[in-house]
Formats: sequence, C-alpha cells, structure tokens
Amino acid sequence: MSRMIELRGLSKSFGETSVLRDISFDIDKGEVMSIIGPSGSGKSTMLRIITQLEKADDGTLTVDGDRLFESHDGAAVYNKANERRVGLKTGLVFQSFNLFPHFSVLRNVTEAQRAVLKRSRDEAEAKAMALLAKMGLEDKAKMYPWQLSGGQQQRVSIARALAMDPAILFFDEPTSALDPELTREILHVIRALAEEKMTMAVVTHEMNFARAISDRAVFMDGGVIVEEGVEIFTDPKEERTRKFISSFESDG
Amino acid sequence: MAPLLLQMLEGTVTSLQIFFLTLLFSLPLGFVVAKGKMTSIRPVRWITDLYIQIMRGTPLILQLIFFYFAPFYLLGLSYDRFTACIVAFVVNYSAYFAEIYRTGLQAVPRGQWEAGKVLGFSRAYTFFHIILPQVVKTIMPSLGNEVITLVKDTALAQTIGVSELFRVAQTASSREFSTVPIFIAGLFYFVMNYIVSRLFALAEKKLDYYR
Repeated sequence: MSRMIELRGLSKSFGETSVLRDISFDIDKGEVMSIIGPSGSGKSTMLRIITQLEKADDGTLTVDGDRLFESHDGAAVYNKANERRVGLKTGLVFQSFNLFPHFSVLRNVTEAQRAVLKRSRDEAEAKAMALLAKMGLEDKAKMYPWQLSGGQQQRVSIARALAMDPAILFFDEPTSALDPELTREILHVIRALAEEKMTMAVVTHEMNFARAISDRAVFMDGGVIVEEGVEIFTDPKEERTRKFISSFESDG
Repeated sequence: MAPLLLQMLEGTVTSLQIFFLTLLFSLPLGFVVAKGKMTSIRPVRWITDLYIQIMRGTPLILQLIFFYFAPFYLLGLSYDRFTACIVAFVVNYSAYFAEIYRTGLQAVPRGQWEAGKVLGFSRAYTFFHIILPQVVKTIMPSLGNEVITLVKDTALAQTIGVSELFRVAQTASSREFSTVPIFIAGLFYFVMNYIVSRLFALAEKKLDYYR
C-alpha cells in the first residue's frame, strides 16, 4: 500500500507557546485516521499545517510523494515548487463550514473547479450535481447557504471539497457546530466516503464514530501524540488516554 | 427667472463634476488607504493613521484652502482652483472611505479567506470574488451616508472660488436682494440626494438575496 501522508517531527509554536512537539505519523492511501484529544491539544493546528493555512516551524512532510517541507538544521524548509500541487491534493472541511454566502449551493461547488482546475461550466456543474445528489442535496442546488440547515451546509462544504478531487480530505471537527441529529447526517456521509476508500483524517469528539471508521488513530494532548493505534478506543495503555476516552462513555 | 435657472444648472454641472470626480478617485484610493491602515508594517500604519486623523479631525473647508494655497506658498507654483478643489475632496474622502472599507473588511470572517486558500484560489481571486462582494454588502448603508454627505459638501468648493451651485445661488441672491435662489439651490440638492438615496436603496435590495 502506498503512502499518502508521511509526517516526521512536526513542531510549531505561536510566539512563546509551543502547540505541537515532534509529531510523526503516516497515513496510507484509502485509510481513515482519527485524531482525538482535548481541545487545545494542537489537533486543528496540525491539520492547518498540512493544508497550508499555517507554517510549520520544524519537521518533514510528504504528501502523496511530494515533499512540502523538510527539516534542515531544526527548521522546516518549504519546497515552494510543491506548495500548489500539495494544496490541490489536500482538501479541508471546516468546523464552521465557511461556505461562500453570496454564491448559490451549486456555485459554491463549481467555483473552484472552474477557477482553479479550469473545468468547463458543463463539466463543473455535472460534477457538482453528482456530488450534491450523493449528499442528498440535489434539490438545494439553486438555494443559498443561509436557507439551509447546519447539517446541509456542512454537506455542501464536503461536496465543495470533494469536487476538487483531493487525494486526501481532512475534517476539522466537522460536527462540533451541529446538534446531535445533524451530527448524524454528517457522520453518515463521512462513513459512506470511508466505505468508498476515500483517504481521510478526521479530528473529532465522536468516539463511537471514530472507533467504527478508523484504520488509524492518534490521541493528542498538550501538543504531543500520547498514544496511537486503533486500540486506544478499546484498550488504551496510557492513563491520559484512558481518562479522556472514558469521559465520553456516558454518551453511549 | 429663466437666466437664473440656467446659471444654476451650470453651477449644478460643476457640483456634479466635483461629485463624480471625487468618487472616481477616492473610492479606489480609499482601499489603498484601508490596506495601509491594516498592514503589519508599522511605519506605514502610523503614517496612514495620522493622515486619517488629520482628514477627519480638521474641517474640509480648511483642507480646501490648504490645497489651493499651499502649493503656491510652499513651492511657488499655482494651479487652477477646480483642480485644487478635486485634490482636496479626493484626499479627504479617501480617508473616510478607507475607514468604511476597513470595517467592511474586518466584518468578513477569516474562514472565508481560508476556504479560498484551501480550494486553491489565489489571494487576488479570493479578494475579488469572495471577500469584496461581501464587503460591498456590509458597507452599503455607511457608503450611502457618505455619498449623500459628499453631495452637500460640494457646496464648500466655493471657499476657493469654484462656481458650483451654491455659489451661483448666493451671488444671484445678493444681486436680486432675494433668498429665493438659495431655496431653489436647496431643492436641487434635495433632488440630487433623493436620487442618490434611491440608488443606494436599490443596491441594498439587490444585495439582499443572501445573508
């Protein structure tokens, strides 16, 4: 199986505050990795570095064979020539959706296909409609984001990300802004993508869901990976992991 | 009566010239100033801030006088009053528009920039296609206020001898010992601003399709 993500020794500080220390993991093609941990543990920052919304301080990252940055004398040196290519391979679904409010649902999904991938209008719209249908939203194409529920908005944003044919899709707490019922909608969609062998990494607090879909899992706390492997859900070795996992058990 | 109205229409043309030329230059320049105020380069930010403070903190009438006389006293060169008037208006209004733009830019959530970046848009593309339309919607009401003020402010151009509508009315008024021309001028301003506010109401309504 070939590597999608190979991350080594990632570190990041904001000013004096160290938010990530020596993070390493791999994700293979077709795998789903879940990233769990208390808030402030650096999970989101890690996704934001891989999707180039933040810069790494140190470490080495290879995405689908392309080196994005490499550790040199304790600092991450970016490979400028690969930034765009890696960017097109990585998609990100935000906690707060970040749909474009002035565009219709359809245009939210076609805009980047046309502007970035230079697809024709017909091609982009056909792709968008197919994805919206898959999300159960084909009848919402002409609507505007404000006319949709949170769950529907998040499904549009997933369609928007998938329309770019990313090699790997990241989810940054995709259900944290949603109530339980809408959360189920989104989890259902992610699960369906997992069954299609879409490569994904999901930051989530939905433990049952994470356990059900994950091929890999990491538990982060205080900017480090405390423990990894899918056993963390069922048989955590570390005290911190155990405490964290058990705090969700009352949720059923 | 007829020659008076003709003169006043001529004055109105001058007022409208000031109005449109000011908008033509200060609307885009305001963006440059707003960027200066929001930059991380400190000296640029300080200078921009000082400029905005001066423009907002001193009377426009004084600025008109300054821009008309300063080049002569400082550099020994003179230019025509109309040009001086446009320069003063543009410099003044750019500062006000900059503050409006800044509020509008800050009102757009950072996530909009981030979504654009993650989808592969260039910064310029994100700005023009994603951010700017939302800024325009947010600032439309304050922009409308400012543009209405501009219509009335054009009357200040007479300070440096530009024959705009109000100066024509005042001259006629003292010539004919009558306040009628002044009130006619008032009606003219009212009509112009009625049109301006209708246009802005229309624009706001057009942008009402999203939230």
